[in-house]
Amino acid sequence: MNVSKAGRLTVLLGLTAFVVGVSWNLSYADGKGIFASKNCGSCHQTEGPATEKTFDDQLKKKGPELWYSGSKFKKEWLVEWLEKPTTIRLLKYNSVTEKNTEKHPALSKSEAGEVAGYLMTLTAKEAAAAGVTEASTPMGKNLFQKKYGCVGCHSVKAGAQKVGGVSGPDLSEAGKRLNGNWVYAYLKEPKVFKPVKRMPVFVGIINDNEMKTVAGFVAAQK
Amino acid sequence: MAKKILLVAFFSIGVMAFAAKGTAFAVSAEENYKFYCAQCHGMDGKGEGANAKPKVVGIDLPEMSVTPRNHTSPEDMNKLTDIDIENAISGGGASVSKSTIMPPFGKTLTEAEIKDLTAYLRKLCKCKGK
Repeated sequence: MNVSKAGRLTVLLGLTAFVVGVSWNLSYADGKGIFASKNCGSCHQTEGPATEKTFDDQLKKKGPELWYSGSKFKKEWLVEWLEKPTTIRLLKYNSVTEKNTEKHPALSKSEAGEVAGYLMTLTAKEAAAAGVTEASTPMGKNLFQKKYGCVGCHSVKAGAQKVGGVSGPDLSEAGKRLNGNWVYAYLKEPKVFKPVKRMPVFVGIINDNEMKTVAGFVAAQK
Repeated sequence: MAKKILLVAFFSIGVMAFAAKGTAFAVSAEENYKFYCAQCHGMDGKGEGANAKPKVVGIDLPEMSVTPRNHTSPEDMNKLTDIDIENAISGGGASVSKSTIMPPFGKTLTEAEIKDLTAYLRKLCKCKGK
């Protein structure tokens, strides 16, 4: 009797695992399928590594690469944003002279969930957990706004208003969107994630602790 | 012997040319200027890039707390030596006692590119400096 019970339990557990596995695979496949059917790949690269070697390589791209989106984004934000996109880059992608007036296509709620599920599977090993604490510390603020002048290109909240530059992505709510460990990896391994970009290379200028503090500050802006 | 010296000289020039390229992404100083510097200094170098004056491009954000240098102004640019300019590009504003809003590009551009950019700035201001 006990043996039979154990057997039934094993079968049940096996079936559950199978159903969960199948639905995960379906969900992944659906998200990937929706991504393809909406032609998202015409603007967004989903396969790494980065191959840009010249300005022209970067300038011909129409949108941010997503091959490491699972490391970069927070899933909850991604689902919400895909359904109701907002402007993150105040200037048109790859431009320093034109305002971004483009409306990113919106997905239905279910599509947003499926596509986010797929995008979260696209990760980069270089953005592994590095112990970044997502906190808006005075030190982080000082590094971001004064010592390294990040605010010259990126906007952040200052009380009720927003201040800062516009050529880099808006970071005023970056904490909802970005993982601190990825921000750190982006600073530490610029050639891996975006070899050709307008932001200067800070490797060899900012020490490791400061990089983590800045990354934590960025990922705490909400 | 003379042939050997000539060969070594050609080889060295070739190596130097290759080394000067480094990880450069641009083919000219103007391209570098328009990719990096124009964000704050503007495409024409007058110090009115989108980061400095967001309203110029239709974005309702306050102006930058400091005014990026107008590279077309001989008055301003004549106050600087070429070394001052190279140091500002390489080490950022802090390295020449100016604003830290100007970030360091010493790990982004090669030394040769920084020298070429300095020469490009001299063309913009039509001045030679101190």
